[in-house]
Amino acid sequence: MLSLIGTELVKQVRRARTWVALGFVVFVPVLMTVILKLNPPSPGPGGGQFRPFFLGSLQTGLLVPATSLFLMSRIFIVIVMALFVGDAVASEAAWGNLRFMLVRPITRGRLLAAKLVSAVLFASAAVLLVALAGLVVGVISFGWHPLDLARGGGFGGGPPPGFGAFRGVTQQLTQSEGVLLWHTLLAVVLIAWGLAAVLAFGFMLSTMTDSPVGASFGAVGFFIVMGILDSIDSLGSIRHALPVDYYDAWTDLFMRNKWTADMTRSALLQVPYVIVFLGVAWWWFHRKDITS
Amino acid sequence: MSAPIVEIRGLSKHYGSVRAVDDLDFTVAPGQVCGLLGPNGAGKTTVLRMLVGLVRPSGGEAWLFDEPVKPGAPALARVGTMIEQAAFVPYLSGVENLELWWRSGGRHWSGADSGRAFEVAGLGDAIDRKVRTYSQGMRQRLGLARAVLSRPELLVLDEPTNGLDPQEMRAVRQLLRRVAEEGTTVLLSSHILSEVEQVCSHVVVMDKGRLVTTGTVASLTAGGGTAYFEVDDAQRARAILGALPGVVSITDEHPGLSIELSGVKRSDIVAALVGSGVAVETVSARHALEDAFLGLVGDHTTRHVGKGA
Repeated sequence: MLSLIGTELVKQVRRARTWVALGFVVFVPVLMTVILKLNPPSPGPGGGQFRPFFLGSLQTGLLVPATSLFLMSRIFIVIVMALFVGDAVASEAAWGNLRFMLVRPITRGRLLAAKLVSAVLFASAAVLLVALAGLVVGVISFGWHPLDLARGGGFGGGPPPGFGAFRGVTQQLTQSEGVLLWHTLLAVVLIAWGLAAVLAFGFMLSTMTDSPVGASFGAVGFFIVMGILDSIDSLGSIRHALPVDYYDAWTDLFMRNKWTADMTRSALLQVPYVIVFLGVAWWWFHRKDITS
Repeated sequence: MSAPIVEIRGLSKHYGSVRAVDDLDFTVAPGQVCGLLGPNGAGKTTVLRMLVGLVRPSGGEAWLFDEPVKPGAPALARVGTMIEQAAFVPYLSGVENLELWWRSGGRHWSGADSGRAFEVAGLGDAIDRKVRTYSQGMRQRLGLARAVLSRPELLVLDEPTNGLDPQEMRAVRQLLRRVAEEGTTVLLSSHILSEVEQVCSHVVVMDKGRLVTTGTVASLTAGGGTAYFEVDDAQRARAILGALPGVVSITDEHPGLSIELSGVKRSDIVAALVGSGVAVETVSARHALEDAFLGLVGDHTTRHVGKGA
């Protein structure tokens, strides 16, 4: 099994598309930080949901990873992760190589598991890279400091407007460097796992089609549709069963400086979706006639 | 008699109301080079796919080495396969593709018959080029190389000379003869009847998903087909042959005669001519298998020709 996973990883590593995708997830935090440095936002009301993170980042580079994650998690990270899972089986089928992988004493379950592990590792690495790139470029640009909203940093003597008031809560926030790093790591895990249902859906599609682009777009489409449904108030409590309902809950780590029940809900909500989508993928792939 | 290496028992595959393969039975014994023949749409590729566990049968069973075939069956370790066009990871080189494919099975590259594989591929320095730059013929040769990488006891090849030029086709035929001499059993599908006639010891003929006949190539072509004769007195030969049973037609084909036979051997014709004082200078078979094949696929009645297969 390890050798099978190893060869799947080699296929990903040797692929130019992998490095283009990972290059983009590094590039965006760097670009964002350079823009923040050259043209910092001025304190004051307004500025949208990203503003608190932007203003906090000016105080400490250790908040830049969270800012990058917040900026990119809305769609960019979803696209990159969907690329890896959508490609997993469908690209092999598109090349016509899938049948040659399976004319050996390798069960379909083993091949599927190896491809899933490889895709998940690279998809997760993409989220981690966003944070790492943000950390490096953030510390270089804005320094290694604690987040102290009472101090207010260099932008007006008070907490950044909106920061500490996100998700309807206002409170004083102080986070040490260690806590910021720990929260960043938790945020990476929560974002990656918070998209587990979407990724499982993309992987399921990948077993059903010979079009890797179709499977990847299908996953992104699923995320968008879930997001649209989640914004329809008249759906009532049904919204809380949607896999993206608590997707942004990780921001409480920075906004409220604590683990919240919504984060737990976000994590647990993925489980039934993952089980169903991966179960269908496994069932489909086992009964499928391999002609490509 | 040793147990068959391939055993197909009542194998069927239906796609809705279409019966791609319908209640097929045949066996391939050790050491045979068996050609699976049939017109397009006969179900040859579907049979080979079911044989190696890629396609789930609607009914019946395929057995390899006395084991029922299912996806990932252990017996597949003893089989080298090329089904349809060879395909690879396009952004890896030829040698990287072979190595990665080999290693993904949990085996060390040192255990592969890489020397034979590189010889079969015959790609020279191009083996280090990315596969996406290969022509179809180069991919096909690399596919054959992958099939022989494990020194298989059984080679299952689907139209192995597709996309190859005449020299490459000859090289493939030579390879098949060589591996057969070394004891490898071969099951190959082809629509090139002359190729099957040159390479195969046995044939299985299919049409519309059903078995038409099985047997040795020799028994299938004996007493049938078209033969070409050159004699010293064509007019007299024509008169003698016209009275012989089993001679269907005689056509002038300067400088000789083309004779369509049915149920009579060429040696019987020669004996009749010589016995009547006509000197026979040349005798050659013309498309014996092709004639036999075309005669068979028009008749869907299953019959056995000779033993084996």
